[in-house]
Amino acid sequence: MKTTFGALSLVFILGVLLVVANPNYGLKFGLGEGNWEEYRYTDQYYIEHGVEEVGGTNIVTDIVFDYRGYDTLGEATVLFTSIAGAVALLRKWRGEE
Amino acid sequence: MNVLPWLIITPLFGAFSMPVISLLGGKFREYWAVIVSGLTLGIAAKVFYTVWKSNEILVYTLGDTNPIGNGVKFPIRIIWEVDLFGALLALTVTFVSFLAILYSLEYMKHDTGLDKYYTLTLVLELGMIGVVITGDIFNFYVFLEIMSIASYALVAFRNDTWEGIEAGVKYMFVGSLASSFILLGIALLYGQYGTLTMAYLAMKIAENPTLISKVALAFLIGGLLFKSGAVPVHMWLSDAHPAAPSSISAMLSGLVIKAGGVYAIARIIFGIFNPGLHGYLKTFGMPAFNLNTLGWIIIFFACLTLVIGNAMAVVQNDMKRLFAFSSVGQIGYILLGFGIGIVAYGDKIGEIALTGAVYHIVNHAVIKGLLFFIAGAVIHQVGTKNLNELSGLARRMPFTTISFIIGATAIIGLPPLNGFASKWLIYESSAMYNPILAVVAVIGTVFSLIAYTRVLFTFLGVESEKVKMVKEPGTAMIVPMLVLVIIILVMGIFSWQISDKIMLPTAKMLEQLNGEYIMALLKFIGGG
Repeated sequence: MKTTFGALSLVFILGVLLVVANPNYGLKFGLGEGNWEEYRYTDQYYIEHGVEEVGGTNIVTDIVFDYRGYDTLGEATVLFTSIAGAVALLRKWRGEE
Repeated sequence: MNVLPWLIITPLFGAFSMPVISLLGGKFREYWAVIVSGLTLGIAAKVFYTVWKSNEILVYTLGDTNPIGNGVKFPIRIIWEVDLFGALLALTVTFVSFLAILYSLEYMKHDTGLDKYYTLTLVLELGMIGVVITGDIFNFYVFLEIMSIASYALVAFRNDTWEGIEAGVKYMFVGSLASSFILLGIALLYGQYGTLTMAYLAMKIAENPTLISKVALAFLIGGLLFKSGAVPVHMWLSDAHPAAPSSISAMLSGLVIKAGGVYAIARIIFGIFNPGLHGYLKTFGMPAFNLNTLGWIIIFFACLTLVIGNAMAVVQNDMKRLFAFSSVGQIGYILLGFGIGIVAYGDKIGEIALTGAVYHIVNHAVIKGLLFFIAGAVIHQVGTKNLNELSGLARRMPFTTISFIIGATAIIGLPPLNGFASKWLIYESSAMYNPILAVVAVIGTVFSLIAYTRVLFTFLGVESEKVKMVKEPGTAMIVPMLVLVIIILVMGIFSWQISDKIMLPTAKMLEQLNGEYIMALLKFIGGG
């Protein structure tokens, strides 16, 4: 009963995602000239101004270390947390030498 | 000087320097954790006071003075947008975390791996602060993950107990699934609108409300209902909260389900999908969302949550499991307040409901913190949390008993204490909006009354064999409990003043009738 319901909701979610991924109703793929300016204006800005504003010629590193450096700091914290968590959980049990 | 960045820097530095500090050994790491969380509390209080005094939304750009790009009219950098709601949550988070760390000094004394414990606790606090102050939706996800991963590890921290590991695994699987739903929602929004700043996203969605944003909203709300422990998906919570160390249960139950759950739901609905803006568009006959459906969905889950959560609390034999189910029930009240706030948007009723929901977030954090501290004290001193084995603790642990009575009466919502005012606002608004909702809310409270009366009998009644040799816990555990009791009493005495002076402006700022959240960003455009 529960499994059937779960499977049915997964099928429903998949259907919704397929509709959303259909260019006629939802997301467009392979954006061309006009659409690029409409949907990817932020990316266009980074491409145009990245070199002069940040100084790096690699746009990806310009974004992840300058424009969105705070997210990178967050990702580093995620890694730090996972390591601290893994080390904490794999430590010896109490009373075990 | 702008103190806002220090709200992140302080716990981040504290957590990253903990492995080095703990090389000094012994007490240093504990003092360091107390100092760092105490400083963070001070900074959060300053930020809250600043925002409250000026009654304006604080916008801070990471890496520049202006979030808007050169020669364009859209934000390109990550911003923090701290309104009163965020500042209030940050204050609550730092306050309860500080007390939880103080409490762990004695409570965690017999455990090993304490340097990791304090690191993870500080990271948990950092993650929650990051979630409540951010104005960028991807950044919100990053800090939600920091918070979640720290809490998975802390739930399973006692790795020699089977229930800790079981609960940790369950929490991790369910939580990761919920996080991936949230990430999918964010990806859809970015694909359609091309920006990640919440306030600018709100404008873009209002300009062009598409099917995609509806689907993204469904994914976001679905994932966040998981994280807040609403009823069909609350099963991780009732395992995770009892299995964690009690200081962590207090943080999980008081803060994590608020910051990563109901706060985020409210921020996404009122910040990004803004019912006011869409209602305004509709009067001009433009395409707009009708958020009433969403409001009713949230009300539906809220009613389910508050009845089932509180009813399940009645049949528990484990003290912490009972408190965990009671947390599920209280989340129901908060969601009910937000739900009515959406369907009755722009009305006096909606405002009262939002005030009640915001107020109840703070009250529940304080009260549930106290109750889990008490459960921890009982486990620490007696060694069991089974309600059938405990009775007659009152003579041996008088302070703990009195604190419990105050905490229990506050969470049920009896008049002299703080729980009354917030619950009253939620009852009042639901009764004015639709009397059936008020009846459901009262049924939930009746169950919660029965559940807490059962626990009361373990403190009163005949002394059982187990409690004959029991003493009160030491100072480091008594002090946090005492502070919370005093806060509950003081907030109870001044409940209506607090409601008028703090909670009502907070609800108004969250409701943003004039689109304040968006305007705070827009005022930068043209200045750059």
